[in-house]
Amino acid sequence: MSDDENWRRFELLALPHVDAAYNLARWLTHNDQDAQDVVQEAVVRAMRYMGSFRGDNARAWLLQIVRHACFSWLKENRPAERLALDDSDESLQDIAAPATDEPHSVAMRKADRLQINQAIAALPAAYREVLVLRELEDLSYNDIARIADIPVGTVMSRLARARTLMRDALTPVARPVLRTVPRSTQAGRTT
Amino acid sequence: MKSHSDAQQVNAFVDGEMDLASQLEMEERMRQDAGLREQVEGLRQLQETIREGADYHEAPAELRKRVATLTPSKPTARSHRADMAVAIQRWLGWRPTVASFGLMAVLAVSLNLAWLRSSQDDRLLDDVVASHVRSTLGQHLVDVASSDHHTVKPWLSSKLDFSPPVNDLQIPDSVFLGGRVDYLDGRPVAALVYRQGAHVVNSFVWPSAGKDSKPSFSAERGFQTAHWSQAGMNHWVISDVNVEEFKAVVRAVQLAEGER
Repeated sequence: MSDDENWRRFELLALPHVDAAYNLARWLTHNDQDAQDVVQEAVVRAMRYMGSFRGDNARAWLLQIVRHACFSWLKENRPAERLALDDSDESLQDIAAPATDEPHSVAMRKADRLQINQAIAALPAAYREVLVLRELEDLSYNDIARIADIPVGTVMSRLARARTLMRDALTPVARPVLRTVPRSTQAGRTT
Repeated sequence: MKSHSDAQQVNAFVDGEMDLASQLEMEERMRQDAGLREQVEGLRQLQETIREGADYHEAPAELRKRVATLTPSKPTARSHRADMAVAIQRWLGWRPTVASFGLMAVLAVSLNLAWLRSSQDDRLLDDVVASHVRSTLGQHLVDVASSDHHTVKPWLSSKLDFSPPVNDLQIPDSVFLGGRVDYLDGRPVAALVYRQGAHVVNSFVWPSAGKDSKPSFSAERGFQTAHWSQAGMNHWVISDVNVEEFKAVVRAVQLAEGER
């Protein structure tokens, strides 16, 4: 396949998803300029691989490459953060998940934009990634598994954990109350 | 009950990622378990909060520009000058391709139209030949036999929703035999019948929606045919005379109508 044809296919199939690409890169790198560099790098790679693209779900395909480019970038620029991405889910839970997995029954108060964005940004990258892909890109578990290169089961556990962390971050008032009531349903659980 | 996998099940339920059996089971459990209902409701609220509240970072114009200047040949070109060169190259490289695609599309459409038109003409030609053959084989050459066009024209006008031009042909050996009503192109038409020497000439006429056109001649199964539009009328003339005589007949029909 010629370069021209690759470019044409890319323009047609992948270019419409440059917003999604940037959104993911922006959430993973935390800043605009780095996200732009990562997306540009990913686009270059994507065009190179265009010939091997089979034509199903261009958005997931492009995001997979963007995600990989983010990885490489994090490895070089944020080694500490990349650690979290590479760690197994078990150790992640030890580090980042003191709360239970059980969704609180307390109705969450409407959090403001800044609070929500900060809460997502504070998530470990591995959780942030699945949450962004699920809630902001509305992708299926299968697509997320393909993009993040993890089994669907891991998508499920990371997403559950990410939401628990989000809920805890967005309901700061409710948490201590639940934890200090000894006869609540949580009382018997160790965390 | 509140295991990790259970929390994942609730998440999968909220995300609509459960298979049907598990989903029905979950709904059944929710009916009996108020705590589970609250979990689901809490997750839905969280989901809504995140979806509504979180920033979606759309690609800035600068990035779009950067992506647009990337080309397959020089994907790593970073400098402005290189970007410009690449942009120009892309512009030059792509315009002809795009243009040729456009041209191809236009060609394809017009060819299709032409094909459609010609296939319509083909069908009409078949009908004209069939009608001519029927008229010469059977007894039904004319409905109104008269060499007087002042008799034939009112008769045809009374049978049709239009008034066909009826004229003698000002050429040697031409005899006006009369007219009949025939059926062509999905409508009743006027058929004017002439004898040209020993040969029968059928001249079909019906109103035309299109513009005037010059006669288009063709030979079909040994018959000479010509069709054209003139003064808001479609004309189809058919006969088994030789080509030269046929052309004279067509000219005479054109002329006669022109004088009308």
